[in-house]
Amino acid sequence: MKMFRNLNFALSSAWQSFWRNLAVSLAAVLSITLILILAGINLLVGHAFSQVLDGFRAKVSEISINVADGTPLQTVYDYQQHLSADPRVASVRFVTKEEALAGFTADPNNAALSTSIDGNPLDAKLEVKVNKLDDVAAIDALARQWPGVDPTNPTNYQGDFVNRMLELSQWLGLAGVGLLAILVVVSVVIVMNTIRTAVYHRRKEIEVMKLVGATEWFVRGPFVIEGVMTGVIAAAVALSLLVLTYQPMVERFRADLTFIPLSYDPAFISSLARDLLLGGALLGALGSYIGVRRFVRI
Amino acid sequence: MVLTPDFASRPVISFQHVWKRYPTGTEALRDINLAVPEGDFIFLVGPSGAGKSTVVRLLIREERPTKGKIFVDGVELGRMKRRQLPFYRRKVGLVFQDFKLLLNLTVYENVAFALRVLGEADRIIRSRVAEALDTVGLAGKEHTYPANLSGGEQQRVAIARALVHAPRMIIADEPTGNLDPATAWEIMQLFLRINARGATVVMATHNREIVDLLRRRVVAIDAGQITRDDRSGRYHEDVSKPQLRAQ
Repeated sequence: MKMFRNLNFALSSAWQSFWRNLAVSLAAVLSITLILILAGINLLVGHAFSQVLDGFRAKVSEISINVADGTPLQTVYDYQQHLSADPRVASVRFVTKEEALAGFTADPNNAALSTSIDGNPLDAKLEVKVNKLDDVAAIDALARQWPGVDPTNPTNYQGDFVNRMLELSQWLGLAGVGLLAILVVVSVVIVMNTIRTAVYHRRKEIEVMKLVGATEWFVRGPFVIEGVMTGVIAAAVALSLLVLTYQPMVERFRADLTFIPLSYDPAFISSLARDLLLGGALLGALGSYIGVRRFVRI
Repeated sequence: MVLTPDFASRPVISFQHVWKRYPTGTEALRDINLAVPEGDFIFLVGPSGAGKSTVVRLLIREERPTKGKIFVDGVELGRMKRRQLPFYRRKVGLVFQDFKLLLNLTVYENVAFALRVLGEADRIIRSRVAEALDTVGLAGKEHTYPANLSGGEQQRVAIARALVHAPRMIIADEPTGNLDPATAWEIMQLFLRINARGATVVMATHNREIVDLLRRRVVAIDAGQITRDDRSGRYHEDVSKPQLRAQ
């Protein structure tokens, strides 16, 4: 009961204090909003890159094993089954020579070339989808040892390209994490100082609280709750601005940078909302906790 | 020279060879020995910088002694853990020269504040605050903000806040320092009534008239040392009546 009363007191005094010190509260909201907008942009850019990378990954995680002419069909089926049983492999599809030719001629990009083709120079092939991009090289090496493979053109695997993609995705991932870590540190410092300024204005109140026997958590509680409130309001503002500008920005970039397959992903907004609200609340709470510490220590 | 009065009852406050040196090097107190029995009313007097406020700060554990021990109610303050401190302060009522009121809270809210930190129910808070405001003569001013009160009234609010949780001890640091003589006298009447109810009162003061009029126990401090401890003393040493000295 006493705990409930203390919580009630902390909530109501946090609410009152937010409105009574509106100028300082708005300064804190503004600084957290700016930080969360930067964090949100980082998340959105990261998401856009990961979408683009996923597209590339899907392409390069599929290799075609060309089957030598004259290979018995049963040998191909056996090898298809053998590959399907491999845990690294997601799926294997057999494409006959006829199907390969039909696919080639159906592609409008090959229209000119397909008229000059005499007979069917294309190989039958096994199209293998690999679960992890890292395993494509191993599957390629395995395929090259299969006796049924076309020795002149065994697979369409482009090791260099895949390795570069892997490297790029690792670097982008690291850069995103690094940028986010820097943002978190900078934001905690900014929020801490903003809240310390707010707390400084109320040091007399804290002094009185301590003198009448308030525990450290009784003093700290309203400030931490106020920090959470500030963070959540800032997150809501940042989120609104990001949601409003997300689609127009993606369309603008897509128009300018046609070679990058950027796309607007409305499903990502809910995960962005969760991250920003949680991030704002944590940032506000942590900033308040650290900011108020010097004044609260009895 | 032993300055501890030989009172019959068990001391509620006891300073035993207490020294206090601040980090700046200032030696604020030197070998202080003092025993205050329960229900006593004691004036700490002396010139500015003598060490009176340091005694108060040690008593509310804003400071720890450099050497020696301070016991309050049998508990050694120097050994008290930080987390125990709020519970100790709840047993003490504090009154300061600058009132230390929260200007954005009403009279009622300021007094209720001392009970809120205890997690008391609203029903109890309402009745105790009303009682405390009645005691200090501020019934009817519940919804007034401190800025709209006189200095004397603000000090009354501070006293109401100090006594609302029925402490056994009131510590006051220059409570009449900002008040005119008539208001100061009214405030002193309040302290006397609180003391008459059984609370121990320790008051650091410069107010010579009040000390001389009330003739309560007077502990004089000068340059960090107790120079005089009279059971029924005056602000300045009363050379004509040496029999009043505690020793």
